[in-house]
Amino acid sequence: MSAGSIPKGSVVRDPGYPTASENYLTNSKGVLSWIFTLDHKRIGVMYLVGVTCAFAFAGLLALLIRLHLFQPDGMIFKGAEANNYYNQLFTLHGAVMVFLFIIPSIPAALGNFLVPVMLGAKDVAFPRLNLCSFYLWCAGAMFFIGALFSTGLDTGWTFYTPYSTTTDTSVIAATMGAFILGFSSIFTGLNFIVTINTMRPPGMTWFRMPLFLWATYSTSIIQVLATPVLGITLLLLIAERTMHIGIFDPEFNGDPVTYQHFFWFYSHPAVYIMILPAFGVISDLISVHSHKRIFGYRFIAYSSIAIALLGFLVWGHHMFTAGMSPMTTIIFSALTFTVSVPSAIKVFNWIATMYKGSISLTTPMCFAIAFIFLFTIGGLTGLHLGTLATDMHLHDTYFVVAHFHYVMVGGTLIAFLGGVFHWWPKMFGKLYSEFGGRLSAAIIFVGFNLTFLPQFVLGSRGMPRRYATYDPEFAYLHQMSTIGALLLGVGLLVALVVLLTSLVKGKKAPANPWGGATLEWHCTSPPPFYNFEHAPVVGDPYDFSNVEWDGANERYVSTEPERKIAPSEIPDAVPAHAKDGH
Amino acid sequence: MKLTNAFSLVGDYAEPYAWFPESASTFSETNDWLYNWITYTCVVFFVPIMCALFYFAVKYRKPKGAKAESNVSHNTVLELTWSIVPSFFLVGMFVMGARAYLDMRDAPEGANEVNVQAFKWGWTIDYGSGVFHPELHLLLDEPVKLSMRSTDVIHSLYIPAFRAKKDIVPGRYNFMWFKPTVASEKVSDEELAAATKQTKERGESWSYDDHQFTPDGYRFFDLYCAEYCGTNHSEMQTVVVVHETLEDLNAWIKKYSARPTGVDPATYGATLYNNRGCAGCHSLDGSKRVGPSFQGLYGRPEEMVTGESIKADENYIRESILYPKEKVVAGYQPVMPSYKGQLSDDDIYSIVEYLKTLSTTGAATK
Ligand code: HEM
Ligand SMILES: [Cu+2]
Repeated sequence: MSAGSIPKGSVVRDPGYPTASENYLTNSKGVLSWIFTLDHKRIGVMYLVGVTCAFAFAGLLALLIRLHLFQPDGMIFKGAEANNYYNQLFTLHGAVMVFLFIIPSIPAALGNFLVPVMLGAKDVAFPRLNLCSFYLWCAGAMFFIGALFSTGLDTGWTFYTPYSTTTDTSVIAATMGAFILGFSSIFTGLNFIVTINTMRPPGMTWFRMPLFLWATYSTSIIQVLATPVLGITLLLLIAERTMHIGIFDPEFNGDPVTYQHFFWFYSHPAVYIMILPAFGVISDLISVHSHKRIFGYRFIAYSSIAIALLGFLVWGHHMFTAGMSPMTTIIFSALTFTVSVPSAIKVFNWIATMYKGSISLTTPMCFAIAFIFLFTIGGLTGLHLGTLATDMHLHDTYFVVAHFHYVMVGGTLIAFLGGVFHWWPKMFGKLYSEFGGRLSAAIIFVGFNLTFLPQFVLGSRGMPRRYATYDPEFAYLHQMSTIGALLLGVGLLVALVVLLTSLVKGKKAPANPWGGATLEWHCTSPPPFYNFEHAPVVGDPYDFSNVEWDGANERYVSTEPERKIAPSEIPDAVPAHAKDGH
Repeated sequence: MKLTNAFSLVGDYAEPYAWFPESASTFSETNDWLYNWITYTCVVFFVPIMCALFYFAVKYRKPKGAKAESNVSHNTVLELTWSIVPSFFLVGMFVMGARAYLDMRDAPEGANEVNVQAFKWGWTIDYGSGVFHPELHLLLDEPVKLSMRSTDVIHSLYIPAFRAKKDIVPGRYNFMWFKPTVASEKVSDEELAAATKQTKERGESWSYDDHQFTPDGYRFFDLYCAEYCGTNHSEMQTVVVVHETLEDLNAWIKKYSARPTGVDPATYGATLYNNRGCAGCHSLDGSKRVGPSFQGLYGRPEEMVTGESIKADENYIRESILYPKEKVVAGYQPVMPSYKGQLSDDDIYSIVEYLKTLSTTGAATK
C-alpha cells in the first residue's frame, strides 16, 4: 500500500547502496581491524555487543531472583547460605544493570554510532579517547565479574556504609570496577561535548540539531560533572575500608548519612543519564514514524537541559526517612516536584506530534508507544514517593522497586530497543521481519506490566524490598510478578532472534527505510567509512515535506524541485542579435 | 446466614487483595487518603492521555508516503495550559504531604518513651527496670515515642499497619512516634495451649507465621526492617502488640521482668534464647547459621580464627556473650552484638544452664 508518488518536475536524491569497499563494516577485515579501530561506528557496534551481553547476564540473574521469590520461603536457594546467595544475586543484578547496561546503553552504543552521523561530521573529536573509553568499560566489567567469582558482593548496588565497610565480600573489586566505569563514562561525555561544540558542519546550527543530539549533549554535561563525585566517593569508601579514616563509619566517628549524600549526589543525576537519552530517542522516533514535525522542538531541547540541571538538586529524596532535618527534607520534596513538570510536558509534546500525523505502526513506533505508556506510569508513581507523608510508608518497599523499573526498564530499556530497531537497518544494512519485531514489542509490553504492576500493590501493602523470604500473604502477587518476568524474558528473546536472523536473511536496507529527514538517512546503509560521500546538505531535521515514498523501489527518497540547469556548453560569445546583424 | 455475615465473609476473602494493610494508627487515615487522592489524580490525567495516544495511533495511521494533515510546530496557549494546570496539583500534593509529614515528625508532649535497639538481625525493646524483649508492646490510643539506636549497620523500623518508617543510623539516635488505634485481640486459652504444646514437642522456636499470634496469645501487627542490613535482613522481623489497658500491658511486662520464682534457670535460658535474638543466628539442631549451632556446644573444643582451640566452658560462653569479638570461632564472622549491660548475671547463668541441656557433656556434668 502506498500513497506517495514522486511529483513531476522534481529530482530524486538517493545515495543507493554502498559497495563493499566503501561501507564501514567491510572496508577493512580481520579481528585487528576491529580491536584497533578508531571509527566511531565500529566502536558503537562493539559497545552494542558489550552492553547486550551485560544485559543478558543481568537479565538471567533477574529471572533467578524472581524464581526464588515464587515461594515465600524461597524456591531456588535452600539451606544455610540461601540468604547470602539471594543477596549477592540482587546486588549483582542491580549493579550490572545500572553500571554496565543502562548508563552506557543509549549514549555509548547508539550515541557513538549516531552522534557524528547525525551531526554531519566524519568522526568524534577524539577517536582514540573513544576507543579507550570502550576498553575501560571492558576493564570495569572484568572487575564486576571478578567480584562475582571471588567472594561475591552483597551490599546492594548502592554500597551503603557502614555495611559496605564491614562486610567481607569483594567490595573493593566492585568499587574499583565502578570507578573505572566512571572514567569510561566521563570520556564518552567529554567526547560528545567537544564533538557537538566544534565539529558541526556549515549550516548545522544548534536549532537544526536533531533532538537526539540535544539529549546526548545534556547527558554528557551530567556525565562530566557528576561522575567525578562518584569516583571520589568510591575512593573514600575504599580508604575507609582499608584505613578506617572515619568519614562514614560511626565506629571511627564518621557518619553513614554523609555517604548517602555523596552517593546520591552522583546517582540521582545518573538517573537522568539513564533517561534523557531515552527522551531523545523517543522524540526522533515519534516524529519520523508520524512523518510530522516534532511539536514544541525548542521546548523539548531546553527542557532536556533544564532536567539535567534540576537533576542535581533533588538527590535528597532518596533519604527522606534517614533522619535529615525537617527543613532539608521539605526543601528536597519541593525540588523533586519541579523536575516532574518538564518530564510531563514532554509526554504531551509527543502525543501532540502524533495528532494529525501520518503514522506508520512500525516496530520502532510500537516501542515508542509502549515507552509513553510505561514511562508515564513510572513518572506518575514518582509523585507518591515525592510526597513526604506517603513516602514514609512506601520508601524501601516494592513500590519503589516497581517505580524505578517502570522508569528505567519501561523507559530506558524500551527506548533503547526502539532505537536499536529504528537504526538497525542503518547500522547493518539489513531489514528485519516487521511482524517479528512488533510481536516482540507486544510480548515485552504485556510481560513487563505483569511483572511490575503487582509490585506497586506489594509495596503499598507493606512488602519491604531486598527480602529473600517473605510473609505468605504476599505470595500470590509475587507469583504474578514471576510469571510476568518469564514472559518478559520470552519477549526479549524474540527481539534478539528477529534482529540476529535479519543479519543472515534480511533484505538489503535502502538508505532511508522509514522516511526520516535527519542526516543519517542521507548516507547509504550501512554508512561509508567517512559517513558521507559528499559533504551533506544540512536542512531542517523535522521537515518531511520533500520525503517521498518511492513505491517501485520500496524506499523513501528526498526530492527537490528540478532546477533549470545551465547548459553544459558555453553559448557563443557573440550575442544572437549581433549575429543576425552580420 | 445473616447478611452481615455474608459481607464479613466477602471482607475476609477480599482482605488479602486490598491495597493497604490494616489501618491501625492515627497516621494511616491521612496517609491512605493522600495516597488515594494522588492515585485518583494520576488516573484522571493518565486515562485521557493514553486514550489520545492509542486513538491517534489508530486514527492517523496512513499508508506509506502519505503526508501528515498538519505540520504545526507549536501552540503557545496549549503549551502553557498543560504546563500550568498540572503544576497546581503538584503544589497541592507537596503541601499536603509536607504537612502530614511534620505531624509524623513532631511527637506530642508527654508521649511515652520507649528505647529500641536494632542489631543484625533482631530487635531489643527496653521496657525499663531491666526488662528487654524483642516484641514491641504498646498501649491503645496513647502516643508513643521510640528512641532508636543501632549497634552495627543502618536498619529501618517499619510498621506497615501504622504507615510509619524511620531509619536507624548507627552513631546517632533517631526518633519516631505514633498513636495506635486498634488493639490486638487475645486468642482463646485452648488455642494458645495447643500452639505452645506443639512448639514444645517440635523443639523449635515460636513460629509467628504459623500461629499468627504471639507466645502470649496476642494477635499482632508486623514490624519489618526496611533498610538492607546483610545476610538475614529478611528475617529481621518482629511484631507489635497493642494492649487495651495499662494493666494488661503492665501485666505483660511483669511477666518478663526477671526469672520468675520457681522457674529453673535452664527453662528461663530457653526463653532468653528466643527473646533476645540468639535464635536468629544460632540453631539448636546442629545446622550452621550465621553463628555456630548451640547443639552440643557446651564442653566442646572450638577452633578459633587465631588457630588456637578453646573448650566451650562457662567462662568462654560468658565472654562470648559480653565481648563477642574477642574470641571468634573459625569459619564465622565477628558480627555478633555485645550483650554487655543488657543481660544480668542471672540471665547469663540461665543461658549457660540452658546450653548445658543441649549437650551430652553438659548433661553428664549435671
Ligand atoms: C527482566 C527484567 C527484570 C526483572 C524481572 C527484574 C527484577 C528485579 C528484582 C526482583 C529486584 C530485587 C528487588 C529487591 O529485592 O529489592 C531487582 C532489583 C533491581 N533491578 Fe531489576 N529486574 C529486571 C530488569 C532490570 C533492568 C533492565 C534494570 C536496569 C536498570 C534493573 C535494575 C535493577 C536495580 C537497580 C535493582 C536494585 C538492586 C538493589 O536493590 O540493590 N532491573 N530487579
Ligand atoms: Cu536490619
